Amino acid sequence: MTDTYQNMALFGVTIENLNKILATALSKGGDYADLYFESSKANELSLRDGQVNSAGTHVDYGMGVRVLSGDKTGYAFTEVTTMEEMIKAAKAASVIASQNKSRIDGFPVAQILETKAGNGYYPQTKEWEHISVSHKIPFLQRLNGKIFSSDDRVNKVMARISDSQSSILFYNSEGVLASDVRPMLSIVATCIMESNGRIENGSYSRSYRGGFEFLTNSLIDHIAKEVVASTSFLFNATRPKGGQMPVVMSAGSSGILLHEAIGHAFEADFNRMDTSIFSNKMGEKICSQEISVVDDGTIPFNRGSINFDDEGVPSQKTYMVREGILESYLHDRISAKHYKTNPTGNGRRESFRYMPLPRMRATYMENGKNREEDIIASVKKGIFALNFSNGQVQIGAGDFTFFVKSGYLIENGKLTQPVKDINIIGNGPEALANIVAVASNNIIDDSTWTCGKEQYCPVSCGMPSVLVNKLIVGGNE
Amino acid sequence: MLQKERAKIALEYAKQSGCDNARVTLSSATQSSFTVRNNQTERIHQSKSASLYIQLFTNDRYGSFSTNRMETAELKKFIEEAVRVTKLVTPDTYRSLPDKSLYYTGNGKDLEQHDNSTSKLEPSQKNQIAFDCSSEIYKSDPRIISVNSEFSDLDDYFYMIDSQGFEGESRQSSFSLSCECSVKGKGESRPEGWWYESSIFFDSLKKNEIGKTALERALSRLGSVKLKSGKYNMVLENTISSRVIAPIISALNGASLQQNNSFLKDMAGKKVFDGNFRLFDNPHLVKHAGSRYFDGEGIATKPMAIIENGVVNSYFINTYYSKKLKMPVTIEGPSVPMCKYSESPGNNPSGRDLGEILKHCGNGVLVTGFNGGNTNSSTGDFSFGAEGFVFENGVIKHPVNEINITGNIITLWNNLIDIGNDPRTSSRWLIPTLAFENVNFSGI
Repeated sequence: MTDTYQNMALFGVTIENLNKILATALSKGGDYADLYFESSKANELSLRDGQVNSAGTHVDYGMGVRVLSGDKTGYAFTEVTTMEEMIKAAKAASVIASQNKSRIDGFPVAQILETKAGNGYYPQTKEWEHISVSHKIPFLQRLNGKIFSSDDRVNKVMARISDSQSSILFYNSEGVLASDVRPMLSIVATCIMESNGRIENGSYSRSYRGGFEFLTNSLIDHIAKEVVASTSFLFNATRPKGGQMPVVMSAGSSGILLHEAIGHAFEADFNRMDTSIFSNKMGEKICSQEISVVDDGTIPFNRGSINFDDEGVPSQKTYMVREGILESYLHDRISAKHYKTNPTGNGRRESFRYMPLPRMRATYMENGKNREEDIIASVKKGIFALNFSNGQVQIGAGDFTFFVKSGYLIENGKLTQPVKDINIIGNGPEALANIVAVASNNIIDDSTWTCGKEQYCPVSCGMPSVLVNKLIVGGNE
Repeated sequence: MLQKERAKIALEYAKQSGCDNARVTLSSATQSSFTVRNNQTERIHQSKSASLYIQLFTNDRYGSFSTNRMETAELKKFIEEAVRVTKLVTPDTYRSLPDKSLYYTGNGKDLEQHDNSTSKLEPSQKNQIAFDCSSEIYKSDPRIISVNSEFSDLDDYFYMIDSQGFEGESRQSSFSLSCECSVKGKGESRPEGWWYESSIFFDSLKKNEIGKTALERALSRLGSVKLKSGKYNMVLENTISSRVIAPIISALNGASLQQNNSFLKDMAGKKVFDGNFRLFDNPHLVKHAGSRYFDGEGIATKPMAIIENGVVNSYFINTYYSKKLKMPVTIEGPSVPMCKYSESPGNNPSGRDLGEILKHCGNGVLVTGFNGGNTNSSTGDFSFGAEGFVFENGVIKHPVNEINITGNIITLWNNLIDIGNDPRTSSRWLIPTLAFENVNFSGI
């Protein structure tokens, strides 16, 4: 028995059932319909005040029916997968289409995408379903002990292990039947330090699409080391003088610049609606030839990876910008049809409660030819941005921001005064054009990045160190 | 099975599984949204959902669990497993249900939180409302690129019981109409403007002028320039002013205090902010979204002064943090926070609206939108991206963008110029226009 048929059994449906639901969904017309089944179980285990003293499990189960009629979408979901309730949902979704010819003659299975455990981008060897709380507790205790023993100034530690597993079944009116099992592990540690009455806080996280085998002592030790280092750094940091200046983005989590500054603007729904600042730029040179930007759903065990997207389209590595030229938007089925191109596997959703939208996966810039130290040395006065937290973008105006938790001043080509808690703002197309040097040290950051475009989706980002020669840095006068 | 019976059965399963105490919360919602883009229906989304949340207190241990699979056999198995898992964690003697004397015991007057219209409205009627909103402006100006309008409604039911005998329920409805408009700007820029209205009652929902307001706000962004760095008076429009209240609410939370991660720790009874700053919680405001008689523990809400004339008057302390901090229980968090200027002699008793505040301030920057940024919870240091307008002699001159506002929340609130009289009733938090002096703006 394959995963696909196991998942059909899990949701208590047969191909005949699925075809009947699709036929109902398209009974008032429409070009396309799909069914998305999900059964998710998420576990949390938390440490506070030295004790692993809170556990939780959250179960979410249901299916959604989507009907497309041109660019229009009808969507409904049910949490009960009886035929009666699924047919009701299909009827609710069908309202969107009321003009086209009815398609009630069933749908042959034209293609079946099967993703068996071990064949995809995130095979698990130790599934979370079989891991007891007592197996996870020692890792949180170790994390707490390592953090406290690293620095006398540590005052409080909060830590959490979250794991989840989602079983997905997808079927559409083109006959695509697909199934997937999507695991996720996230560990977050927050450390509070106090020194001479001054308090600082720092957090560090790691996240992987993987099973229990990813939860190791070495990972715990790495998190402990990094959270202590990033928090203690803040005691020496100050606010810089604000204003427009060159910014060197360090490798790794600075990929948030790509996510906010250009990634969202390349999502094809915004372009289809002509509301993105990049709407008319396809095929044009938008930045240095040294720059290639990728959105990749195929990195093994990466938080943003998916075997196929939530529209049944196999995942892929998509070049958005290749050698400075805008080559592709990120498409779901609706935008791909609009642009008469193939979907890029970016149709994603938070859960069965939501219709899919074009969403990023792992977004990063490919390596350039420079060395980070040479890039820093080229800056007379500016900021070296080291650690980042949140970001945001205004798609139409193109203005984006990201928050720098820590970094350094650059003075005469050298890193000098540590800085912290500054927001940086820029304009997407301008910032991209203002990247004047790219290093060869690309890092994909494995933090718990979550994108909040209408719905929440796990993503990741990465970047080699780059020099943006003009951005506006928040700070004192 | 009725929802109340299902919750009671869940509580019984917890007891049968050997759990000392438990709280069960059952919530269900019916909602729909109708989106129209450029006078064409773009999306219809309809759904009903329900979930059960159970908190277990057993052998001095604690766990919280939820499921939307509520058939009897599945629920029993889920709760048995939840109790088993809870017994595996470390004891935490601070975890318990609340002191029963603090429970809401009923008999409050109707807070008027629900309108039955959700079930009476036809999909075609909802779609027409969204369509009419879009039609207000579609093709009315050659600079318009896209008009997106949405009508949504929600009927939300909430029922909570615990093993100490607490029982409470509430039902809320919400109707919202919003519009977002993109216009052609300089070069490839496409500035956006938005507006929304929201109401508990369908008949009270304002359904016109929303598209027009969105268009006006989008057009007002044309010709935006960068701001010269410096210190300015800052006026925060009532649409976004809660951004400088939220860090205060967060810092007053028991969890932040106990974790030594609050810039307002040990400040109770102390004058921390400007003497004209007053922040209240008014949880029993009739016909206002967010009003409630009890919090997530069943503890009775009551009107309270949070900040009184600049003095920190109250923290938000639930049962758990009350025991850990050895402080009395207040409430887990605010319901309807309201911000007002002091009524001291000499102050304008009726307050000022935005126009009057701009005149009062003379020159400065009116901030109408935030773009990212964050606040350091330990220090109160903040840095926010923003956009808005330069005003001179009380008159708006031109839009500005790509600006960063940087400072410290306590310092900011000690530079208070004024608190307006114009909170938006569409918002749960009633935070009006705010004005501050000497604020760091970073631009070119």
